[in-house]
Amino acid sequence: MSEAPRRSTRLNKNQEDDSKGKAKPVDQDVEMEDTAADATTEPTEKVLTPKELEALVVADIKQHFALFIKSAKTHEARFAVRALRAVSSLRKRLTSHILAQTIASCYIKDDDTRKRLLGYLGSEAAASITAEHETTVTKSETPEVDVYLHLLVMIYLLDQNQLEKGMELSNITVKTVQELNRRSLDQLAAKVYFYYARFYELTGRLSEIRPTLLNAQRTATLRRDDDTQSTLINLLLRNYFHYNLYDQADKLVSKTTFPENATNNQLARYMYYLGRIKAIQLEYTESHQSLLQAVRKAPQNNVTAGFQQEANKLLIIVQLLMGEIPERSLFRQPVLRKALVPYFQITQAVRVGDLNKFQETLATHAATFNADKNYTLILRLRHNVIKTGIRMISLSYSRISLRDVCLKLHLDSEEDAEYIVAKSIRDGVIDATIDHEKGFMRSKENVDIYSTNEPQHAFHQRIGFCLKLHNDSVKAMRFPLKAVQLDAAEVEAARDQERTLVQEIAEADEDMDEDDDL
Amino acid sequence: MAISEVKRLAQALSQEYNSANPDLAKCGQFLSQLKIALIELSYLTHEERPNNIEELTLARDVLEIGAQWSVRTKDIPSFERYMAQLQTYYNDHSALPASPLKYNLIGLNLLCLLSQNRISDFHTALETIDPEQLHNNPAIQHPIKLEQSLMEGSYNRVWSSRSEVPSKEYLFFIDILMDTIRNEIASCSEKAYTSLPLSDAGTLLFFTNMEDILNFAKERNWKVNPVEQKAYFHSDADEKINIPADQIIKQTMFYARDMDRIV
Repeated sequence: MSEAPRRSTRLNKNQEDDSKGKAKPVDQDVEMEDTAADATTEPTEKVLTPKELEALVVADIKQHFALFIKSAKTHEARFAVRALRAVSSLRKRLTSHILAQTIASCYIKDDDTRKRLLGYLGSEAAASITAEHETTVTKSETPEVDVYLHLLVMIYLLDQNQLEKGMELSNITVKTVQELNRRSLDQLAAKVYFYYARFYELTGRLSEIRPTLLNAQRTATLRRDDDTQSTLINLLLRNYFHYNLYDQADKLVSKTTFPENATNNQLARYMYYLGRIKAIQLEYTESHQSLLQAVRKAPQNNVTAGFQQEANKLLIIVQLLMGEIPERSLFRQPVLRKALVPYFQITQAVRVGDLNKFQETLATHAATFNADKNYTLILRLRHNVIKTGIRMISLSYSRISLRDVCLKLHLDSEEDAEYIVAKSIRDGVIDATIDHEKGFMRSKENVDIYSTNEPQHAFHQRIGFCLKLHNDSVKAMRFPLKAVQLDAAEVEAARDQERTLVQEIAEADEDMDEDDDL
Repeated sequence: MAISEVKRLAQALSQEYNSANPDLAKCGQFLSQLKIALIELSYLTHEERPNNIEELTLARDVLEIGAQWSVRTKDIPSFERYMAQLQTYYNDHSALPASPLKYNLIGLNLLCLLSQNRISDFHTALETIDPEQLHNNPAIQHPIKLEQSLMEGSYNRVWSSRSEVPSKEYLFFIDILMDTIRNEIASCSEKAYTSLPLSDAGTLLFFTNMEDILNFAKERNWKVNPVEQKAYFHSDADEKINIPADQIIKQTMFYARDMDRIV
């Protein structure tokens, strides 16, 4: 996300430079190599030729290398995280030429890894390597760069739909990552596993990698590797869901703890999976909470439209199953509107308690619901439609014959109506009595809700939510390390304090800069 | 034991079981013998070697008979064990030829879960079934419809579903289910009616015998008025509403503590 604004400032700068006539297109390539680490200052033309664009991307990749190396040296995960976050924007610009050139500048000519990676890219890409790229070979000592390059090639193969090749490469990469066993690789490993599973999913062989993922998950847990752990748990859940093995998924969830420090995206996924498991097990309240979190934690942009749609679909059903009606505005959101049309119709049917309309909608959209794997959940709603229907009748009539209830709800027989009404009375849906001999249902007077404990309960729920929100926000705040130093400084002499303060200001500035970059 | 011998034994079992009047004790003996014999084959190690398809099919067939046999002998835990073992054969061995009994047994399993009121397990099991079969297979449709009727409260339909079971093994579980339903209906009636003529109560609860009704009424503490032939249900209208002081104090303390933390 941070990549976009940075890029635009760079372009602005380029334009400025250009207008002053400073840029000399001739020596551009050379300059680019030099200033690769600091991309913001490179002068370029307004309209970039393809070759220059390629060079730009290569420079970006090299900048990421620097970040990975820095991360490995300083044991600070955030540099690696920053580089990985840029991958999604990099992904759109990757070509085989760019990758080949980068690879050429990283490995010496006879390196095995170089040969292998170039082999995956094809001979045409290898041909694009010119002597110029070879001259700047800097053999990297850190395996992070190695794995990162593997990852980029994997992503490229995925985008090119070369699944068999990608699968092969991902196998090799996963093996390398497992053999290397470096903590600085954790963030990269998570990504590698993700694409590894993706290749197997696309080739329909997901069940084969389950043992590998489970092993990796165990190792990651033992090493307290939060990123890999959270990614792997989600991959395993997805794996089980793919084959509808909710029983195993539930067992996995109960036997593992999802790391607290996981990224928001992984957490959102996990919450969605959790919501689905709980929905199937009829624990709607828990499911509702998880799904709500999933929807809220997911980034609200067009890239995640698919996830938002899926999560919202499930959320709507769970809400309906709980007897709540989702808000109308939900169905109007531009990202969701089209996908939610069938669900909107179901909601309408449930809201008015019209059994016929419900069955009709179910029949017309059966294929959609099946594809979403929500069909069985929606089938359960039939019961809710009837409940709503009975509630409506009970509200509008003080006395109604069971025969009329039967007709209004399109039930099979009067006996059925009697049983159903009796059950709703017991379940507390309506407050009424049945007169069996005369065959009618009599609604009791409405009780004033404010004379019960209900408002107290609602109040408690809301206050609880607000307090939890506050506590969570406090926990989520990140304090710079200097706060600890400040405490220590207080007991020291005044001059020491002064010196520390100066140091702090300098540090704070540095931190601010870095935060800006993030 | 060689595979040919195991096969012979399995054949003997299926012959005995499928005969008009099977000796269930004898089948049980066959089953325990077979299970020991199967362990020597690929019964427990679920690797898919190219040549063990035959062995796996054999093991599956034996387990299927075992599951049906458990239902006949009314041994629910044993049925569940057989079903748990069969799950691997149904789900993970795609190379095996499909069994004709598969969906019948899955349906039975669903009914078994339903009769024990394990609704969440029921729904989890439902999700693993292929949607195509879910809509069209009568053996699966039966428990699904049953569950729907149960949730809605159309107990009439549950009662009538007895006559349309896909196989006779289903009846065992439906009979268990009937008892559950009767209690359900009774608890609904207690809330819904103030009084009920005994004969009508009989029809509601699917009793045909007056004595059964009276026994049942006694079990559930209904006041029966022999003159009017009516059952009266104790109403809970005069129940006192307690002020949940404890809870309110706890809640208020919780607010105070958290507010204190914020300030």
